[in-house]
Amino acid sequence: MSDPYQVLGVSSTASDEEIKKAYRQLARKYHPDNYHDNPLADLAQERMKEINEAYETIQEQRRGHTSGGRPASGNASSYGYGSGYGAGYGTGGYANYGYAGNQEFLRVRMAIQQGNLNLAEELLNASSNHGAEWNFLKGSVCYRRGWMDEARRYIQTAVQLEPNNPEYLRALDMVEGRSGTYRPEGYSNIHTASCDPNCIRCCTTWMCCNLLGGGGYVWCC
Amino acid sequence: MFGYVRPSPGRLTQEEQELFSSAYCGLCHTLHRRYGAAARMILNYDLTFLAILLSDGKACSSCQRRCIAHPIQKRTCGKPTAALDTAADMSVILMWWQLQDGVADHGFWSGLKYKAASLFLRRAYQKARLAQPAFDQNTREQLQALDALERSECASIDRPADTFALLLSGAAEVVEDATRRRVLRQMFYHLGRWIYLTDAADDLKKDLRSGSYNPLALRFTHCQGVLTPESREALAETMDRSIEQMAAAFELADFGCWTPIIRSIVYEGMYGVGRAVLDGTFHQREKRENRATLHERQEQKYERSLSGIGCLQYRK
Repeated sequence: MSDPYQVLGVSSTASDEEIKKAYRQLARKYHPDNYHDNPLADLAQERMKEINEAYETIQEQRRGHTSGGRPASGNASSYGYGSGYGAGYGTGGYANYGYAGNQEFLRVRMAIQQGNLNLAEELLNASSNHGAEWNFLKGSVCYRRGWMDEARRYIQTAVQLEPNNPEYLRALDMVEGRSGTYRPEGYSNIHTASCDPNCIRCCTTWMCCNLLGGGGYVWCC
Repeated sequence: MFGYVRPSPGRLTQEEQELFSSAYCGLCHTLHRRYGAAARMILNYDLTFLAILLSDGKACSSCQRRCIAHPIQKRTCGKPTAALDTAADMSVILMWWQLQDGVADHGFWSGLKYKAASLFLRRAYQKARLAQPAFDQNTREQLQALDALERSECASIDRPADTFALLLSGAAEVVEDATRRRVLRQMFYHLGRWIYLTDAADDLKKDLRSGSYNPLALRFTHCQGVLTPESREALAETMDRSIEQMAAAFELADFGCWTPIIRSIVYEGMYGVGRAVLDGTFHQREKRENRATLHERQEQKYERSLSGIGCLQYRK
């Protein structure tokens, strides 16, 4: 097994606080929310497992060394990143939750879970029921393929048809970029278009500087 | 490949900036060595990024060399590697097919410059095709698929972007490690998608004038090539999704010494370029950046502080 300190990217003399910080950062990076319906979700899940194991190993080692042992206040699962997230990496997992919806779409969900997008698409195209769930699944297939514009349109339709379905709402947040994606330390949450209204003043100031011939670059927010 | 991908200005340290230039110079020298001086003309930032992604980042050795563009002062230049060779082969193939596309899309007279450039690149292409037959085959197939979509005036932006994305993700197939290949395939896919959409946004006005196919014109509402605010937002949003997918994939492989450079590209640089293209200020910015060599950056900083003073006076 690889060195747990190396997995967390800290030195073996790091303080408990530093280790906790490093662990939290990595856990945020590989969080299932960042890899939902992502074709690489299994790799992220593996990475997450490694990080959790490394953190737990260090915790145990350090508890063993300190006489009397401290209470397990920093246990991995207490951050909510524990193994309980295992099912959170894909549209899959629904079947495991005791899925109670349309049986016709159960096969589609399983195909998506297995990464067989062509089969999922085929089954959807053959279906005559073009309701909310059909649109949602069609959107999921598009999203997995990287067809983000069509994914957004299908999921929007699904939400219009069933505005209170939490699964569809969550997918809508994802395709519209509201699920709080990870940024490394020191990088702010910039986007191509959106500029926070609070930021317009600083933007115009910058733009004015630019117009006057400076080499300034506009980075909004 | 059009030169859109670059690190965000000011984010890299002096050393990292030099490492990035060394990749640029390394690819340029590799093109020269393998394909002759004329092949150097095809060099751009997107191809440099391709070379960086294909490198494993373990050995980042460089040397000091002069070249025709910098005959006096020696520049840091990446030493030849297999990844640079591959990137050079692929660059030639990509440029060749882009030129052929130009020949097909233009009439006899307006297509002359593409034909002339093809003539220069013909021998290089024949050599590159032998070195990367699978990549060449995939490129040709995807461009045929794109051509069919263009002819049918496809109103989806995802479908034509998909062909270019698949074309670029073909570059990942040369990577031996299976996990790394998957990560790179995903990164190249979304890189291709983003480049296609960025280029379409950049060319929207021109395409409308010439009557050429542009999926954005069919998918979004616009007024003489200017997208409505809602359309602009929807386009920016879908471009953001691709950058995010690239960043998520990037975190799953080790890129060694290239890590800070790629990080600055996928978490900042691409957003900035996308924004500049949508604002219509990209080409002004590009001119400024091309002017700014490493040495001029210092002067620029000074200029910027001066213009800051000018700005304050102006606001009064």
